[in-house]
Formats: sequence, structure tokens, C-alpha cells
Amino acid sequence: MASLAPDDPDPTLSLLMAVIGSSPAPLLLLDGEFMTVAASASFCETFGVAPALVLGARLLDLGDGEWNVPQLRSLLIATASGSAAIDSYEMDLVRPGHESRCLIVQPKRLDYADADHPRLLVAISDVTEIRATEKAKDEALARNSILLQEVRHRVANSLQIIASVLLQTARRVQSEEARGHLKDAHLRVMSVAALERLLSTTSEKNEDVEIHAYFARLCDSIAASMIGADDPISLQVTGGVGVVASRVSISLGLIVTELVINALKHAFPHGRGGGITVEFEVRGPNWRLDVGDNGVGIPLDPALVHTGLGTSIVQALAKQLEASVELERRSPGTNVCIQHTQIALVEDDRIPKARAAGAILLGS
Amino acid sequence: MPKPRETVLIVEDDILCAMVIRDELQDAGYRVLDLTSRRDEALAAARANPPDIALVNIQLHGHDDGIALSADLKLLGIPVLLISGQVNRARSAQSVAIGSLPKPYSPADAVRAVDYLIGRLAGNQALEPPLGLEVFASIDDGLDDAA
Repeated sequence: MASLAPDDPDPTLSLLMAVIGSSPAPLLLLDGEFMTVAASASFCETFGVAPALVLGARLLDLGDGEWNVPQLRSLLIATASGSAAIDSYEMDLVRPGHESRCLIVQPKRLDYADADHPRLLVAISDVTEIRATEKAKDEALARNSILLQEVRHRVANSLQIIASVLLQTARRVQSEEARGHLKDAHLRVMSVAALERLLSTTSEKNEDVEIHAYFARLCDSIAASMIGADDPISLQVTGGVGVVASRVSISLGLIVTELVINALKHAFPHGRGGGITVEFEVRGPNWRLDVGDNGVGIPLDPALVHTGLGTSIVQALAKQLEASVELERRSPGTNVCIQHTQIALVEDDRIPKARAAGAILLGS
Repeated sequence: MPKPRETVLIVEDDILCAMVIRDELQDAGYRVLDLTSRRDEALAAARANPPDIALVNIQLHGHDDGIALSADLKLLGIPVLLISGQVNRARSAQSVAIGSLPKPYSPADAVRAVDYLIGRLAGNQALEPPLGLEVFASIDDGLDDAA
């Protein structure tokens, strides 16, 4: 092709002009000087320029200079020389009397026989509406996130009120047993409230709970309520590096609450000293929770083993979590292991060889 | 009767939470002023009978704001512990409060927090802050601009 002037009678060129001219999406053919050789009617309509003013004019000079953007110029130069590192540029087209449009400009250097006359095909997409929709969606998500946090905040506050009522009641009842039950109920509610508070301060995309921080907070609160300043009993949370989905965390928190209350009530009678440890380990989809103590241990006579509400709660929650409950007698003390094994890991030597059928637990 | 310990002002719009904290603090020997959820009542009580520390929720009665009240109390020389679930707002109020105990906390947590802060204000640097209590750097300012 000798020339690509619009009035060239060459039938190949005429076909090329017709193809570009009829493109439904704005399309331009530029020469090496970025002069417009051909333009689609859609380009002229969309960007309000007369076809006669487009052909033969430099793209950067079109209209009132709204296309004369340094980044676009750089991209055209780089594309013409074949050194462009990016293949498109998103720009705001600002025209007097019109709303600003967000455009994606994609220039391509044409690979054809005449290497001395580079030609660029420039496709322009108007993504104003798409970007506006994306922005609206992001804003809606952000609003939802704030609302969810607000709901969790209110749930935590409401639970705190319920917990307060339980404790008020506990202070007023005469029966020591009833007082104990009410204080336990208070701790159970607080365990859920603590999790809701933790979730209310994290973003909506992250429903995972940092388990160590949660257990540490939980155990500290239980210790403050149940271990007197002069009681020689320690409560420690170890391991637990990792995150767990919130729906699992809520059950784990309740299980820890039950087991720790249980150990505090039964493992250290008559001022006996000792320690309780809460250990949590995550391995991929598998996890293992151990609550152990070095107290007096479970009575050997099954008739002396209490089974109470705490036992039922632990068993029920473990079942819901598809986890096994195992009780191990230690000397001294007791360890309860709650284990969820979704995938059997070959190297995992901590998975017990045989599961105890119907593990026993001390009742709270 | 042993001599009452320090005096505490509780300003909280949730009366049930306030009641259990009051009872627990009283059990621990503290003297607790009448409960209130209003900024003007709290200020009147603090002027009439300056407490050693004030426990202030951020959301108070009506549109009363606990952070604004904290600023008023600071001018009276009364240190404030914020007791609110609005953790971020509490953190933004570090210049007017000495700490934050985010809800939910048990009454025992509140007593431990008060014990610690009273100790720190008395100059005991060796104390370990209880878990859950955020202590702001302003606790060491000695309430410079206080009366």
C-alpha cells in the first residue's frame, strides 16, 4: 500500500476503511505520527467530533486538546516503537460541557508488510458506567461491613447486659449451689460476648478468629472471676497460633469455658495448688484442643464421677464440630482432648490409634 | 467496718452493667458514688465529691458523649477509664482518658483494672496491667493541665 489517505481508490484500503468505520466500538487507525488514517463512526459519535475533523488530524490534537494527556502520548510512542511495557491506559476524558468519561485506551502496533510505515490500531472502551457500578458495589460492601460490625457490637453489649443480670441474681440467691450455677451461666454468656466483641473489631471479609488471643482473653476473665487472689492456681494458654472460623471459635470458646470451670471446681480441692493449661493446635483443616490440669484426677470409681450440664455441653458441641472427646488420666491430673481430624495426615503421630468409646468427663 | 478505699464514679447508660460493677467494686472496698448516665449529673457529682477515678462509657444518656465528659473530668483533675465497646473511639480519646477497658468485661475485670490504675496513679510502676485493659500513655502525664 503506497498510501492510506482517505481518498485513495485502492479497493483493499477502501475495505479497511469500511471495516474500521463500521466498528461498533470506538476504533482508530493511526500512522507513525499518530495522525488519524481511519476512524469508526462510533468514535466520532461517542466523543462528539466531526468525521471531517478527525481524519488527517493527530489524535492528541483532537477536540479541545482533551486527548493530549502525557501518559497517553508516552504509551503511543512506546507502542509505535514496540517497547510498550503495558498494553492499555485508563484515562479520564474531560471535555467542556460534558461529564468526565473513564476510558481504557488500547493501542496495538499492526504487524504487516510495510515495516517503514508503522500503523497503530487504537481501541477505546468507555468504562465510566462499569467503574461507577464497581464503586457503588464497593461502597455497599463497606456499608454492609460497618453495619455488621455495629450489629456485633450491639450483640456483645446485649450479652453483657444478660451476663450482668445473671451475676446480679447470683449475688442475691441464698443457695450456694444456685449461685454456682448462675456464675457458670454468666461465664458462658461472657464467652460468647467476648467473641462477638472480637469479631466486631475485625473486617467483614475476615471472619477468622485469632484463637490464642480469644482463649487468652477468655481464660483471663474466668480466672478473674473464679480464682481468688490467694488461690495457688495458675491458668495458662499455650500454643494456639492460627486462626479458626468464627462459627467454630464460638463452640471452642464454650468448650474451653466448661472444661476450665470444671477443672477449677474439681481438680484442686481443699486449697490444693496447681495449674491448668489450655493448648490449641491447628494443622491445616485439623485441630486439637487440650485442657489439662495437675490436680487430684478423676475418681477411679465411676459412681463418684459427676456428670453435669458442663459434660453435656462439651459432648454436644464436640459432636457438632465433628470432633472426638477423650479423657486421659495423668499422674497427677487429667487431660481432656477435643480433636477434629478432617484429613488424616500421615506424619501426624498425635492422632490416637484407637478412640475411646464414650469418653467420660467430670461434670461441672 | 474497714475504712473505705478510693472513691469511684461510674457513668454508664446501661444501668444493669453499672450495678454489677458498682457491687463488685464495693465488695472490693471501694466507695462508689451514685450511678448516673448523664454528663451534667456526673460533673455535678464529681465537683461535689471528687472521685479518685471515673469509669465512663462513651455512649451516655441521650446525646451525651462520654469522651466530651472525659475532657471535662480531666480539667477537674479526675482520671478517666473508658468502659465502652467502641474500641476505636476509645483509642481516639487517649488525650482525655488514661485507659480503656472494652466491653464485654466481667465485673472482676473492672475491679482488676481499677486496682491497677489506682496503683499506677499512686506511682507503683511495678504492677502488671491485667489482660484486656489498654493503658494509655497519658497515665504518666500526671494530669499536667489538671487543676
